[in-house]
Amino acid sequence: MTGLLEVKEKLKMLYSRYEAFILPVMKFLLAFVVLNTLNGKMGYMTRLDNIAIVLIVSLMCSFLPTGCIILFSALFSLLHMYALSMEVALVGVCLYLVLFLLFFRFSPKDSLLVLLTPLFCAMKIPYVIPLAAGLLCAPTAIVSVSCGVVVHYLIQTVVASGPAVKTLGDDGATAKLRLIIDGIVGNKEMMVVIASFAITILVVYLIRRMSIDYAWTIAMVSGAMINVVILLIGDLIYDINISVVGALLGSILALLAAKVIEFFRFCVDYSRTEKVQFEDDEYYYYVKAVPKMMVAAPTKTVKRINTQRSRGNERSVTTERTGSRRPGNYGTAGAQRPRGDYRSGGKSITIGSTDSDNQNVENRSDDYEELF
Amino acid sequence: MLNEERVILMTHMASYENGEGKKNVKIGNYFRSDYISVQVLKSVICGTIAFGIVFALYVFYDFENFMADLYKIDLITFAKNVLIYYGVTVAGYSLLTYVICTYRYAKAKDSLKCYYHNLKKLSSLYGGENTPKKPAGGRK
Repeated sequence: MTGLLEVKEKLKMLYSRYEAFILPVMKFLLAFVVLNTLNGKMGYMTRLDNIAIVLIVSLMCSFLPTGCIILFSALFSLLHMYALSMEVALVGVCLYLVLFLLFFRFSPKDSLLVLLTPLFCAMKIPYVIPLAAGLLCAPTAIVSVSCGVVVHYLIQTVVASGPAVKTLGDDGATAKLRLIIDGIVGNKEMMVVIASFAITILVVYLIRRMSIDYAWTIAMVSGAMINVVILLIGDLIYDINISVVGALLGSILALLAAKVIEFFRFCVDYSRTEKVQFEDDEYYYYVKAVPKMMVAAPTKTVKRINTQRSRGNERSVTTERTGSRRPGNYGTAGAQRPRGDYRSGGKSITIGSTDSDNQNVENRSDDYEELF
Repeated sequence: MLNEERVILMTHMASYENGEGKKNVKIGNYFRSDYISVQVLKSVICGTIAFGIVFALYVFYDFENFMADLYKIDLITFAKNVLIYYGVTVAGYSLLTYVICTYRYAKAKDSLKCYYHNLKKLSSLYGGENTPKKPAGGRK
């Protein structure tokens, strides 16, 4: 566990140091994966199904706000629909507009979920989304996730109806419209999935906010179970052919992903829980304090040694290893450092010339532990 | 000499101003009734457009039959039904907006109260030398 915590601290440090680079790279990768998945699934417009265009758009998305990834993805899907048939694109535009006007304006904060839900559904790991949203977001995420599910089923309906739409030709405009609208409105599977995801998010959110030990673990396990149960009930009522094995395996995978999220977001040590009680003029306070599991990331400090006085302009470096590797040494990351010592990256380096600054040389040379 | 408490407080406040605070200050510039009215008005417009889109899809869904039946059906009853559906949709959506915006306004005001309290604290840390930074102006 200590090793994992050290890795976590290192990752946090790495992220805080290179955030300016990591964020655009992540955006680029997300846009690239989403656009490639869209092209792979739909691919009706051959001109769009071009790696150069995908790369250019992904690069643009990397420095534009996150909402632009959603915009470009919507544009890509609409263009593919247009290449299939103008009527299909019309239904797509109408659906996107309704989602944007009625629902999306209430939860723009969770806009990424609208993108991630269809992506994860396409990757066959959709059950990660309700657990992750319940653990990380507010219940308003239900709106974004539901919108994402609708988008996924729109794309699926378009893909499934593609051959039929092509055979209808230019004359059957109304028939094409009817085919797509029926595919979306009469889609019982979509309704069951929306209901199960919404209830799962709500249950996970409510349990993880409770003041009980292992609230996050209980929340994710209950969420996964409720999700499977609702899907099975929906399957029984509407006969929608949901794979039981797929749902169970997907839920196990979702639990693993949720555990990883918990490790990074809510890593606490329940064995050291403290319950304190105090009062002021107006209230009695019953406080439960659960310490975070922390370990100081090992840092390397390079110190200047000025023992070689004779050589002019020569540079020498020494490393000092700080930070604890002792297991169980939690919650003292900040306490180990003296106040005012803000080593941002965990490794500070001082390289200096030795021809000057020779005061207190003997005292300084005693400060290090390791040399290279 | 750096005052650590002051620096921490200012960092927290700057982070708030750049993130959640930006939105809350915007909301806080309105009176409660003004904010909710504007949002409900936006909802009425959005609801009308959305209803128009759905109605258009409904008409095009069965366009041939609709055109064939156009002269047979009682247009006034049909229009009345459409208007009732429109009214129910927009009223329901506006009510939802009202509830959400009331909650959001109360939350933003609480958050801003905490922010102003921190501003006062910062001012006292400066020993009252400098007047605290005022939030963005607007109607009060």
